[in-house]
Amino acid sequence: MAPEWVLVLLAVCLPLLYPAMALRAAWSRAMRYALPILPLPALVLALGTEPGWQLDLPWLLNGGLWAMDEVRRLFLLLTAVLWTVAGIYAAGYLAAHHLQRFCVFWGLTLAGNLGLTVAVDVGSFYSFFALMTFAGYGLVVHEGTDEATFAGRIYLMMAVLGEMAILAGLLLGAAAADSQLLTDLPEAIAESPRKDLIIALLLAGFGVKAGLPLLHFWLPQAHPVAPTPASAVLSGAMIKAGLLGWLVTLPFGEIALPGWGSLMVAAGALGSIGAAMLGVFQKRPKAVLAYSSISQMGLMVLMVGAALADPERAPILVSIIALYALHHGLAKGSLFLSAGLALPSGRLRRAWVWLLVALPGLSLAGLPFTSGALAKLAMKEGLSGDKLSFALAGNLAPVMTAGAVATLLLVLRYLWTLTGKLEIGPNPPMLSVGWLAAVFVSLVAFWWMPWEAEELVKSPVWLPATYQFWALLWPMLIAVALAAVALVASRSVKQR
Amino acid sequence: MTLTAWIPLLALMTSLLASLVIFALPEKGYRLRTAVNLGAAGLKLALVAVMVWGVFHGVEYGLSFTMVPGVEFVLKADGLSMMFAGLSAVLWLLTTIYAVGYLEDSPNRARFFGFFSLCVASTMGIALAGNLFTFFLFYEMLTLSTYPLVVHRGTEKALKAGRTYIIYTLGGGAVLLAAIAWLHGVAGDLPFKEGGHFVDADPDMHRSLILIFVLLVAGLGVKAALFPLHGWLPQAMVAPAPVSALLHAVAVVKAGAFGIVRVVHDIYGLEASSALGLLEPLAWLAAFTMLYGSLRALWQVDLKRRLAFSTVSQVSYIVLGIAMFGPVAAVGGLVHLLHQGIMKITLFFCAGNYAETLGIHRIDEMDGAGRRMPGTSMAFTIGAFGMIGAPPLAGFITKWTMGTGALEANMGWVVVVLVLSSLLNAAYFLPLLHRLWFREPNGSWPHERHWGRLETSAWLFWPPLLTAVMTVMVGVLASLPFSPLSWAELIVLREYYPDGS
Repeated sequence: MAPEWVLVLLAVCLPLLYPAMALRAAWSRAMRYALPILPLPALVLALGTEPGWQLDLPWLLNGGLWAMDEVRRLFLLLTAVLWTVAGIYAAGYLAAHHLQRFCVFWGLTLAGNLGLTVAVDVGSFYSFFALMTFAGYGLVVHEGTDEATFAGRIYLMMAVLGEMAILAGLLLGAAAADSQLLTDLPEAIAESPRKDLIIALLLAGFGVKAGLPLLHFWLPQAHPVAPTPASAVLSGAMIKAGLLGWLVTLPFGEIALPGWGSLMVAAGALGSIGAAMLGVFQKRPKAVLAYSSISQMGLMVLMVGAALADPERAPILVSIIALYALHHGLAKGSLFLSAGLALPSGRLRRAWVWLLVALPGLSLAGLPFTSGALAKLAMKEGLSGDKLSFALAGNLAPVMTAGAVATLLLVLRYLWTLTGKLEIGPNPPMLSVGWLAAVFVSLVAFWWMPWEAEELVKSPVWLPATYQFWALLWPMLIAVALAAVALVASRSVKQR
Repeated sequence: MTLTAWIPLLALMTSLLASLVIFALPEKGYRLRTAVNLGAAGLKLALVAVMVWGVFHGVEYGLSFTMVPGVEFVLKADGLSMMFAGLSAVLWLLTTIYAVGYLEDSPNRARFFGFFSLCVASTMGIALAGNLFTFFLFYEMLTLSTYPLVVHRGTEKALKAGRTYIIYTLGGGAVLLAAIAWLHGVAGDLPFKEGGHFVDADPDMHRSLILIFVLLVAGLGVKAALFPLHGWLPQAMVAPAPVSALLHAVAVVKAGAFGIVRVVHDIYGLEASSALGLLEPLAWLAAFTMLYGSLRALWQVDLKRRLAFSTVSQVSYIVLGIAMFGPVAAVGGLVHLLHQGIMKITLFFCAGNYAETLGIHRIDEMDGAGRRMPGTSMAFTIGAFGMIGAPPLAGFITKWTMGTGALEANMGWVVVVLVLSSLLNAAYFLPLLHRLWFREPNGSWPHERHWGRLETSAWLFWPPLLTAVMTVMVGVLASLPFSPLSWAELIVLREYYPDGS
């Protein structure tokens, strides 16, 4: 048996043991400390095997096929890494309150999230997606407060509607392709007389998960109310499942869809800027981060729109989207984890903690020498107007600039809201380790990850040229200036 | 008589003889009765397994003899009968185990298990019947043997429900008999035959064939709980949980649906039914019943009543599947014959467990039961998600196959109905699951009992867990040979290409 076989089956089946373990109360300790172990097979799979392998599972559903290509590998890696660090964090973070229940839903959500990144047949992809969605409900409502229950209800309603749109879209797509493989879908959808209906269903269905504007409203409710490690995976990894859903089903590179492309560009612009405008008024740190996720997803939606409109550029844009998703997932994960920290009492050590809290945020904003700088430059390159040919292409640059300003504003707002919230005291050791691991992965380990895209991003170009420095920095300066103005204004209002 | 004649007869006789032995045994012979019950159920399962293997390899099992000139008694095992017989055999064994635990210490157990076995014998007869007359014989035997089970508790409510049940089903039976007699007069004694008998029917016969079809469906539709003939079903849920489980999963509603499949596939034939314009109205009726049942289920506060209306909805999936003119859709309908049975029996077992262990009957009493009874609640969760059609469970395979079939048959509206039905299922099952797992219990349970190590009696604990595992397995392993899906494909292959081409 090839090692991939063993690893894939372990990755998907190991977490499924949790429900059985939950039948015995004595297992609760083991379940807590096994949380970080669950995603390890997937991590080894993503790092240790070369893309291109595939597993035929003819007995599964309507015929199963699991495989890993370059794009899937990045999503698998992001998912596995984030769930690992969040798992370490969770082992330290969780209280005894319904511990086993939380672990079961954690395991099931994890299995779904990992599985969907390697599933190539429609049946298992949709199965893993649904498993992640429904088990995720258990993470959202875990705290049991009225707020969590309310957020959970909206989450579930939107999730069910999303699932139904996906079901209908996949059903129509699979019927058009006369195939049960996702890989046959894009071409068949492009040629189908019902292509607009199918595209609409898939855009909306996966859009619920990806926080597409107007379908997003559950997200700032649900992501923050979950326990902190769950917020991190919700906003870092699970939100990307919607994005991956688009990437593997929509007819990228098959035909030019200027209409859908423009719509998505508009939606992306609305998301990246609108979410920031709502986000800066949030008072709770995790709510600010949730809006930041919508805003960042908006930038990715921008690229999805461009890729739909321009089939020539679609392949390269898809790899940039994957890179951006990896960067954002890791940075957002560590930001969320920092929301549950307690600060050390020493002044110098506190300064260090603040620095490590802030750095992934600044990375999101595109600070040079961070993954964000790389991702932002790649996006700028990919979306530069002279290479794309569709109506809205000229408007992409100002939107990206506004998006960059919005990003840093939200990060500053997050840090601001956090100052009043973090208490001083000791952290459980596993919590600290989990958070530090997340920061380390986002800032350092990222550079060894296999995100290189042909013709565009190559390591080591992480040292930006001078003119790029400026391109990255000036939106950040605007954001800092805006934040300073806001700060002064709020002070003066308070003094009166 | 050869072996191929003996095996189906034996499969029929195991439950029949078990029933007679149980009636003869004294009420107190608890151990012997249980042994007879389980032994017979095990034996029947083995016999059905042999026949399934044989039918797969083209062996023809069956026997026939003439009752009166022109009327034959025919037993025959084909793909379709094996589907129903298999369901009946597997679930009989599990339900018997469950019922032994459920009725512990309650009165009149000999009577109960006697009729219980008789009821299973009837379903076996329905499955193996080779023509409409034989089918009718066992169909009525089913009515008569289930009545004592419905009224088993002897309460006023049970007797009232029993009265409604018997009026509906005997009325349906009378209509069915009239239709069968009329058909006999028009076309003679018709054995069930793949492809049907009326492909080249004389145009003069069309009018009477249409009317007979309407009568047949009306007669069978009572048991299949098609709107507006479903009224008895929600009332009959006063029966003890194992009876409800069997009624909803195998025996009564399934017998009706199975009868409709037989009429459409093996008497009229799909092609003729379609040519006579019979399928489209049937599809609309089934689709309406699907949505109607789910809508009514939404408003029920009693757990078993909600499950009963859910059955009204789910059984119509089967009818809708065969009423769409197309092989893939037919596979979707047929496979639901098994899938619905496995999922619904899981839910009723669980409802019984809640009632027996904690005294829970109403939905608002279920808060926090997941922590007290995790095994049962996991099984319930799987069953409920199966009903919603969440992948990779049994219900998803049904829905996906039916959806694909609908698109293939150019009936896109069915996809809309499937989606709506799933939404409604989600709307009445998900709040239940939320209560189970995420609400805190309101103080004490209405009527709690303890059984030591397990959350409930072992007899009650394992059957729902097993059927829940089956719900997962028939979905996940749908492409294995002998899975319900593969078997339904085999049946449809033989139906659409009767000559084996």
